[in-house]
Amino acid sequence: MAAPDRDETSRATIVRVLSRRRNTLGVTVGPGAVWIVLLLVAPLAFMSAVSFATIENFQIVWDPTLEHYYDLFAGGTTEYSLGPVGFTTTAFEEAIMLSYAIATVATVLCLVLAFPLAYVMARLNDRMFKIVIYLVLLPFFTMYLVRAYSWVLMFGQNGILNQVLGLLGFGRVGAFEYGLLPVIVGLTHAYFPYMLVTLYASLDGLDFTLIEAARDLGASRFEVVKDHIIPLTMPGIVGGSLFVFVPSVGAFVTPQILGVGKVQMIGILIENRAIGEATNPATASAASMVVVVSVVAALFLVFRYVSLDELGGV
Amino acid sequence: MATETSEAAGEEFDDRFFDRGRVESLLQGGLYGFAVLMLLFLWLPLLVIIVLSFVESPSVVSPGGVTLSNYGGLAGDTDLHSSVVTSFSIATLSAVIATVFGVLASFALTRYRFEFREIYRTFGIIPMIVPGVILGVGLRFYFQSVPGVDPSFLATVLTHSLYGLPFVLLIVTARLYTFDESLEEAARDLGADPLTTFRDVTLPVIAPAVGAGFLFAWVRSFEDFIRALFVSGISATPLTQWMYGKITKASVDNLLTLNAVSTLVVLGIAVALAVAMNVGNVTGYVAGTVDDDEE
Amino acid sequence: MSRRDTVDENRSTSSRRVSRRAYLAGTGAVGLAAAAGCTGSPGGGTPTINIITWNDYAKDPVVEAVESNVDATVEVTSSTSSTEMFQRMNQGGEFDIAVPNNNLVSRFIEADLIEPVNMDIVSNYENIYEKFKSFANQQFTVEGNTYGVPARWGWYGYAYNTAEVPDHEPSYKIMFESDYVEEDLAGAIIMYDEAAKTMPVAALYLAEAEDDPSYKEALTENDAMTFSEEQIQNMRDLLIDQKPRLEGYISSDTTYIQQFQQGNFLVGHSGRNEIVRLQENQGVEDVEFVVPQEGAMAWYETAVVSSDSENVDTAWEVVNQYMAPTAGAELARAGKSPSCNPDVADELSEEEQALYGRIDPERIEQFIPFKDIADDVSDAYFSAWEEVKA
Repeated sequence: MAAPDRDETSRATIVRVLSRRRNTLGVTVGPGAVWIVLLLVAPLAFMSAVSFATIENFQIVWDPTLEHYYDLFAGGTTEYSLGPVGFTTTAFEEAIMLSYAIATVATVLCLVLAFPLAYVMARLNDRMFKIVIYLVLLPFFTMYLVRAYSWVLMFGQNGILNQVLGLLGFGRVGAFEYGLLPVIVGLTHAYFPYMLVTLYASLDGLDFTLIEAARDLGASRFEVVKDHIIPLTMPGIVGGSLFVFVPSVGAFVTPQILGVGKVQMIGILIENRAIGEATNPATASAASMVVVVSVVAALFLVFRYVSLDELGGV
Repeated sequence: MATETSEAAGEEFDDRFFDRGRVESLLQGGLYGFAVLMLLFLWLPLLVIIVLSFVESPSVVSPGGVTLSNYGGLAGDTDLHSSVVTSFSIATLSAVIATVFGVLASFALTRYRFEFREIYRTFGIIPMIVPGVILGVGLRFYFQSVPGVDPSFLATVLTHSLYGLPFVLLIVTARLYTFDESLEEAARDLGADPLTTFRDVTLPVIAPAVGAGFLFAWVRSFEDFIRALFVSGISATPLTQWMYGKITKASVDNLLTLNAVSTLVVLGIAVALAVAMNVGNVTGYVAGTVDDDEE
Repeated sequence: MSRRDTVDENRSTSSRRVSRRAYLAGTGAVGLAAAAGCTGSPGGGTPTINIITWNDYAKDPVVEAVESNVDATVEVTSSTSSTEMFQRMNQGGEFDIAVPNNNLVSRFIEADLIEPVNMDIVSNYENIYEKFKSFANQQFTVEGNTYGVPARWGWYGYAYNTAEVPDHEPSYKIMFESDYVEEDLAGAIIMYDEAAKTMPVAALYLAEAEDDPSYKEALTENDAMTFSEEQIQNMRDLLIDQKPRLEGYISSDTTYIQQFQQGNFLVGHSGRNEIVRLQENQGVEDVEFVVPQEGAMAWYETAVVSSDSENVDTAWEVVNQYMAPTAGAELARAGKSPSCNPDVADELSEEEQALYGRIDPERIEQFIPFKDIADDVSDAYFSAWEEVKA
């Protein structure tokens, strides 16, 4: 190949440089590592530092304090009693509990609703599968915001659900007004495809002849599901649950547009402290750090059962 | 449409698994019926948006006449146009960065043993798992303290390039794990230098995975709302921020406009997806690589 | 960026809209002029004045009215929140003028960002309502120097559906007491998803209901809201008790209009300009806006000029135009809100005057300007609001 000299030499230089292991490592690891350190590690470290800082005149003053964490948990107004023990919770604690409760319900709903469809998909022939997966992937790729917005039209006192009920001669249903139910439905709908696709991936690898064999040996349908299908698809169940649960805990748009200010999940509380009325980098950071820690703890538990590869591996 | 296809599926289903009894067929029918219902659940609200984008009033009781005027208004909306341009620019720039860095990192992870390799891999996945509110807030405060960045177009590109990294990483490493390295050795034995080997042997094999990774990173950036909410500032308005403004200011006109824009988004993705499914094996990648896009 | 900044985002009809000029600048057509303005070039030709403010100010008739009277090019960057205006100006010399709400001006002063008003140039300051001069004295006058010019204003009361809700003496009692009117209003009331708008309502109600004027004094006596922690807790408890009566908290006024038309609520805390819009543009008739006898909160926008500006004098000339009859009238039309300068009304049609024209100075007395919460109780105030919403 008669390339121009200059080109050939620079090319040779690159080849020579790359042929050293250290350099190759530098080139391949380097950019990603720099990005991760500058845009992930540093911001999280900065946020954790700010959560201990003092804010004066809307400026960060590096005067360490635990006050912002103390305020998250101290005092409170909502009263509960467990038998003889009474206690009160703060708005932050309420928001955390509400977020975890809503995320749990959404995850269970996604799991129960998506499993049968995933199972059917795993057993479809190729042509049918391609059509169904297209119908599943289209909402999957459609903007989250559009999917959340679609329920704004459906719910509401005069939303489409109530309009249709009215046309059919029924009365309005109060539960269809904006609030808790629409938020749960919105989240379930939003993350349903994630659960479905993850479940499908693990069901797809399932050896159905094993299941037939178990049936032939007299196992009941329930036993087959309990003893074979569920254990074999456990990585998909855990992975899918993770993909629904974690983002649901941090949800903002869905409770914001479907909750009419009555469903204060943790994402809404943090947004208000970060860029809303109560703007205060320190209190916003403290609340965020608690969420980070709780999510990391959840992930740690999950990764004892599934590896990252199983989540992401093809 | 969903209904027809899935019922047809019921007929074609091979039923090795089920006995032929009546209970069996009932159960099977139930299973399929449920599956169809779930497809409807996925689609119903989207179909409602699409239908309502062609009427005069966003209501099923009194929709008024059929009209295309909701789409006509979009042509002259300069805010909409500039937000679309902004979103395309951010998505493309950030996906390019994520792809280049992600592919390089994938080679490092699959080809070399080095200290902190496991940590590197874990941190490479974290950006897609961290709740968007947290990543957005953390990066906002961080960028505000870095002179010259501030919440802006640049800040959004940087944020999305980080967010897109795991998708490229997961897809490309998976492909590289199954890659037969003896092919590369053979090329080198025949005298090819590393660059030539990469270009002629490695790249053609991993290209579909790289393409899928780019696509994922692009789509994630394009549809992201929550991170952009915190880092885009007022100088850049991506499409999702524009749409959110219309949702929170829900007048009749705004809802009709939103329905039309949403329909166009669904349509655009439908076409892109159909192409991607027929050109490359997108479904194979998706089935293994899902994520969150929490808002 | 906040969609819930004190009071005003409702008046900007679209969020974060880039002015048409800025859009052209983006395509390169007037890029040079814009660039010159950003870096500041007082020497050559027509200076560019960069303004960050509400979308109304970016509308063509307003910009044209200003430019035809001042030798300057006006570039408006739209914002939906005063806090954002503060943050952007705080980040460095990008803008010559900001027009935040009155309650934010003290923040600009504390951060040392703005110039005292040059009264020689802002000749229209003389003409504004006396009441606004006294507000300015209380809220942003330091050592005899006034730092901002009140531009436009409006007030909050509540609106109700006259077809369903019987005639009554206007009072916040309608929001808190189930037996105030005959109609059952449970689940049919809406409030703002914003502490700054909703907490003062609770305070004004409690001042009368508990016969305790200290609640009202906390709103009126100082340059910030000086509630005690105990008062804040009482306001919080009142609002928590009120929650079952609410349809919800809303965050924008266009949602308000939509919901009203759909009949989702019967009584709603509301800005007057929204009701004007409802009546004028949507032709809705069975709506009545009232000012409760307990008093009402008022907002007014205040123009400030950056100390970093290279064209301070020209910037004050632009501000003076916002108070002048022509541009002031365009601003009033754009936001359905009256100018702080009563003379502006002369430029409006009779019909417009009835809606956002001159106001009898005596009526202005019942209004209390929105203020920031005092520093020492701001934590208690914001956590009380989080508890209300929990």
